[in-house]
Amino acid sequence: MSDQLLDQLRDALEGSIDFEGQRLAEMLSTVLLGAVGIIAFLVGFVSQDIKLTLYVGLAGTALTFLAIVPPWPFFNKSPEPWLPPRAASGMNINVDGQKVG
Amino acid sequence: MHSALVRAQNVFGFFTTVAFCVAAMIALSSFISPQSPSASIELRNVQVRKGRPHYYSSKKEEYAHISFDLDADLSTLFNWNTKQVFLYIKAIYPSSKPSLPASEAIIWDAILPGTSAPWHQNHYMHPSPKNSKTPKNKRSSKQSQQPQDSPYGRGILHLENQRPKYQITDITGKLQNRTDVRLELGWNVQPWVGPLTWENKKDYGVWKGLEGGVSDGFTFPAVGAKKADLKIEKGKEGHRLMAGEEQPVRKGRA
Repeated sequence: MSDQLLDQLRDALEGSIDFEGQRLAEMLSTVLLGAVGIIAFLVGFVSQDIKLTLYVGLAGTALTFLAIVPPWPFFNKSPEPWLPPRAASGMNINVDGQKVG
Repeated sequence: MHSALVRAQNVFGFFTTVAFCVAAMIALSSFISPQSPSASIELRNVQVRKGRPHYYSSKKEEYAHISFDLDADLSTLFNWNTKQVFLYIKAIYPSSKPSLPASEAIIWDAILPGTSAPWHQNHYMHPSPKNSKTPKNKRSSKQSQQPQDSPYGRGILHLENQRPKYQITDITGKLQNRTDVRLELGWNVQPWVGPLTWENKKDYGVWKGLEGGVSDGFTFPAVGAKKADLKIEKGKEGHRLMAGEEQPVRKGRA
């Protein structure tokens, strides 16, 4: 029971995503942070207020963290299926003299 | 990017890169913001007195007390990246030996805050002009509770008969009868991001050099010399009632 709970906790903390999701996360983080930097600079420059640049930049970065770090469902849309189990055909696995497979 | 921790590290790593690039852009944007400072500075009065560097000193040195007029328009120094401008007036005079560079000593300075700078007690408060009406009733003073840095606008100064903040002396202790003394305006722009910059006499791109900002040459008078004829403004003491003298009559009253 406790093992099950620990497994769930580990999965939640680890937040694994599939391969396509990793590609998407990489691309999204680059695009989002780059856009945030450009927008922050432009907003501050147009309004001539450097504090706006700071706050827009920090807020955008926080949003990016929120979008990238948790294992959102759209990062897990193409899970890699396991290979089907092979039929027991000539596989002989011995563990301590006992036949296992 | 498999686990949440790796993704967090990646996002933070790229965030530092973006932050650095934005900071570099801000620093560079200062250099495309046009500057055209101008200033005129004139000597108002100069006196040389004997004094001691501190109370228990047996050494006597000569101290110059220089008051001046300053009209400066430094409003173009304030762009979005300006945190504060440290403004100062130097007295420059030839050293005792001709081979040595000229001596410089700061007689007055001020910290002019930029637009985004929060209030600080060390910021310069421009004295309000003499003929302006100061709000006396409480209501209007409450409305203008926001401290106004300058009645003329940010970076514009009109100082008349300004007394020095610092009396200056020389390393030799002798200052009287020095010739070719000049007052010069200088500043240091301190940005939020980027390099410190000082006043420039030449043009660099859109940064025009300082126009004026140097006074005519003058001479430190002898110690205890009477005030030279420097058109000193006479205050109300001209109306003082003296025993046994004629009573002063103000126009429009009697």
